[in-house]
Amino acid sequence: MSRAQRSSQTTATEPTIVVQGVSKWFGSVVAVNDISVQVHPGITGLLGPNGAGKTTLLRMIGGLAEPSEGDVSLLGERVRDNPQLYSRVGVMSANETVYEFFTGREFVEFIGRLHQLEPLAPAVDRAIEAVDLTEVQDRPMGTYSRGMRQRMRLAATLVHDPQVLLLDEPLNGTDPRQRIEFQELMRRQADQGRTILISSHILEEVETLADSILLIVSGKLAASGDFRAIRAKLDERPYKVRIVTGDPRSMAAALVKTETVDSISVDSDGALLVLSRNVSALQHSVPRLAKEQGIRLMRVEPMDDSLESVFSYLVEG
Amino acid sequence: MGPIFILSVRVLANRRRLLLIVLLAALPIGLAALVSATLSEDKSSNEEFINVLLDGMLIAAIMPIVTMVTGTAAFGNDLEDRTLGYLVLKPISRLRIVLPKLLASVVVAGPLLMASGIIATLLGASSMGAALLVLDGSVQAVVGVGVALFAGVVAYAAIFTWAGLVTTRALAFALIYVFLWEGLISSYLGGVRYLSVRAYSLSILHGMDDRSFGPLDDRVIEFPAAIGGAVAVTVIFFWLTVRRLRRMDVP
Repeated sequence: MSRAQRSSQTTATEPTIVVQGVSKWFGSVVAVNDISVQVHPGITGLLGPNGAGKTTLLRMIGGLAEPSEGDVSLLGERVRDNPQLYSRVGVMSANETVYEFFTGREFVEFIGRLHQLEPLAPAVDRAIEAVDLTEVQDRPMGTYSRGMRQRMRLAATLVHDPQVLLLDEPLNGTDPRQRIEFQELMRRQADQGRTILISSHILEEVETLADSILLIVSGKLAASGDFRAIRAKLDERPYKVRIVTGDPRSMAAALVKTETVDSISVDSDGALLVLSRNVSALQHSVPRLAKEQGIRLMRVEPMDDSLESVFSYLVEG
Repeated sequence: MGPIFILSVRVLANRRRLLLIVLLAALPIGLAALVSATLSEDKSSNEEFINVLLDGMLIAAIMPIVTMVTGTAAFGNDLEDRTLGYLVLKPISRLRIVLPKLLASVVVAGPLLMASGIIATLLGASSMGAALLVLDGSVQAVVGVGVALFAGVVAYAAIFTWAGLVTTRALAFALIYVFLWEGLISSYLGGVRYLSVRAYSLSILHGMDDRSFGPLDDRVIEFPAAIGGAVAVTVIFFWLTVRRLRRMDVP
């Protein structure tokens, strides 16, 4: 199923997660500020820089934390003080601690027993197979790498075959191959009609996976909806590059004549601050122009390539 | 309830904690064995044994300390390791999480303490001889020690399990409760004994065999009040723990 098909399918269905005017504050610190969102079946990425409030929001959606204000419902039911709901919901928190004395299999069996699964063994086999850890399932979890531990935690989250999955930074510690496998696994889950909400502070991680995103910055919902529309907005964003040369005046004059530059200014150290929407062209132009003009090029550095600046741009934009 | 109980026993009975409990529980036995040679067969020895060893050491100090170690860790470990989410994000009521946790802390602390009290009592009885009022080896006295310690362990476990969920400084809370409230204040204010687990244990001990444990006359409350108090404390703190777990933000 293509992303476009999935996107149109998800908007046609009833929302699985409804967050209505939710805020959370700790003393005078507002962690989440009046967020209202609806999440439909499919994969939704919860994006935002570190400290933006993603985990707090996810914890409120999962019932681990009580909103200071507002309401959360999952599958049409209230979340807090409603334990039976967890037979249909799987939550993988950001905290990576496990019972290290358990083997991987014992851990998943333990979680399966708490879900009162009958028969237990086939469900455990299926969950561990899904994360490709069958071979190491009998090793104590204390001996696992971080990525293996995360995957076994994911197996424990999947063991009862939940309708809704809430995953907080599930890819922490995993290698590129494991990420691809995780994405395939999530895709299969989503194609079976499940609702998956995945938080991440890594844009590219969610880009290849999510049908839609919720973007949170400083506790507020900065953007939500179809990923492609937001991505397009990102592509329009000018990047700032700092260039240190032996002759900034000549270099600025040369750069202005190219199509790659939106604006140029000079900072207090005499370095050029170049704004460009076409960074790859700029990367080629700078060394070529320096060579042509005989200008000594000492440093070229991106000023705002961090995720925070991307998010800030979206918020301000 | 089974998996949580088994997990909790496994966590609570780790090697270091178990070693501490065994050492503490062995103290009264060691002391009873050590002093048995010096005790004479008279009434004052009998009183010293009850006042110093059974009350002063076992019921007033070792029982609360051991139960504090297991009770505060029942939820304290999960909060510290941030593993409580594995339990609360499951389709099981909060009551069915708290009950096995409480039972686990009783099971880890209780048998060792009861064994300690019973063995120490038997050692005392054998050393002091049948002439003593006490510890003439009667089944009633031995059962009394076991029941009193069990009631104390259950009540303390309920209080300290709640404390472990409410505060990260549960050990400090427990020490203040045991040594300030029960050790100091209840010595001067008789009425406080009605709100003291130590007094419940001593009163149950005395109530079950007042002939043997007569020296406790001056620090006990009525036997039914002690039974009722121990049950009430256990039920109230159990309920408070369930309530707290339902309302708290789980880390």
